[in-house]
Amino acid sequence: MALLEIKNLHARVGDKEILKGLSLTIEPGTVHAIMGPNGSGKSTLSNVIAGHPAYEVTAGEICFKGKNLLDMRTDERANEGVFLGFQYPVEIPGVSYAAFLKQALISKKKYFGEKPLDPVQFIKRLKVRAQALGISDDMLKRPVNVGFSGGEKKRLETLQMGFLEPDFCILDEMDSGLDIDALRVVGQGVSIMREPHRSFLLITHYQRLLDYIVPDVIHIMVDGRIVDTGDKSLALKLEEKGYADYK
Amino acid sequence: MRITNKTLMPAESVHEDVVDASGSYVIEVPEGARYEGVFLLKGETLKIAVHLTGKNAGCVLKIAYLSSTDLKNDIVCDVYHDAPETYSSQIVKGVLAENGTVDYHGVIHIPFNSQKCEGSQNHHAVLLSDEAKVTCVPELEIYADDVKCAHGSAIGALDEMQLFYLQSRGIDLKEAQKMLIHGFLSDLLPGSFEPQIADWMVKHA
Ligand SMILES: Nc1ncnc2c1ncn2[C@@H]1O[C@H](COP(=O)(O)OP(=O)(O)OP(=O)(O)O)[C@@H](O)[C@H]1O
Ligand SMILES: [Mg+2]
Repeated sequence: MALLEIKNLHARVGDKEILKGLSLTIEPGTVHAIMGPNGSGKSTLSNVIAGHPAYEVTAGEICFKGKNLLDMRTDERANEGVFLGFQYPVEIPGVSYAAFLKQALISKKKYFGEKPLDPVQFIKRLKVRAQALGISDDMLKRPVNVGFSGGEKKRLETLQMGFLEPDFCILDEMDSGLDIDALRVVGQGVSIMREPHRSFLLITHYQRLLDYIVPDVIHIMVDGRIVDTGDKSLALKLEEKGYADYK
Repeated sequence: MRITNKTLMPAESVHEDVVDASGSYVIEVPEGARYEGVFLLKGETLKIAVHLTGKNAGCVLKIAYLSSTDLKNDIVCDVYHDAPETYSSQIVKGVLAENGTVDYHGVIHIPFNSQKCEGSQNHHAVLLSDEAKVTCVPELEIYADDVKCAHGSAIGALDEMQLFYLQSRGIDLKEAQKMLIHGFLSDLLPGSFEPQIADWMVKHA
């Protein structure tokens, strides 16, 4: 069974249709990349999968592990294993990063009826994971995403993903704003998470991220649809020729 | 109603946290002294008058309110800059659920001779329901010409993107709302107010 199956998805914001019949199948254990011009609907697709209330699905279906994803609330989707690494992580003043992560784990355990989180274990695990991504203890005490640099925000998104252990990770421009070293750190942070049951959907504009996380499949998205699908050589071709052939 | 009259010593610095702050307060702050008061209201009436009577006297009033079914918070703050070179700030934040209401009337008085004063008023209300009602009347009674004053008011629901971000990490809507409300009030209220807020949120948020 496919991990994620999207069929003929149409979605809009207000009166504006953004996804115009998109289909995509992702098998467990695979890495897919989506590339496409600005405004083609890549972030919209991620938001629709995660359940953002501003986007209305007008036709089509999304099946996740055989269940109808569109019937689930955003928090249910997350607990079922969908993770969205945001292109623009949201700032939450007054809520510390550590408290936020802790609540996310508490919620997950509650969802599965598991016994509550051990706070000492939690802090230990958090520190180890954070260190591997070059995130200091001080950063974890600060409010969620407030005042962090672009690169720091992306590292922190990667940290959350590692912690929540989702089955399906959408990484929306995880590489934007990263310097070369940070790109390697984040790339490795993602690579070590590859598992036979876990799949990735990488949204990116550049080949460079795909050097660290080599995709099995690359899709080209233009104007709300997938217009081409191929192997990793497609990214190299794009790097050379741009999107001219698809317009 | 509780009536409190307080006169600080010159250059004295006083901080107080007041839970269930219902009452009337008259506070006199002489030269070089500073008064900082943190007040929490849950459907009460708070009247504060601060008199800044000497150079470099100042006050910071931090007022948080929680409002819910048939609860009305009435807040009247008068700050009198009775001497030149005095400063004041009023920071008012609140959360309204159900048909709760708030009435905040804040006045900064700066008479003719009180030059080089600074005064500010800030109000921020978060509405959890369409039936909640906020009335905010800022007033600047300023007769001196060389002063700095500012006021602002923001009223709105919890931020949709923030709620979505939290929910996308598996946190349900109710819990996400609680986290955001805590975050919203946390820069105003020290940890000692925590039980009061938690108690209110169990019932109304
Ligand atoms: N919440 C929204 N309200 C209004 N318009 C929106 C909203 N979200 C997306 N759009 C519009 O939909 C189109 C697709 O946007 P989207 O962010 O999905 O593109 P993208 O492919 O991620 O682009 P980029 O490569 O620049 O990140 C754009 O024209 C955008 O302005
Ligand atoms: Mg985008």
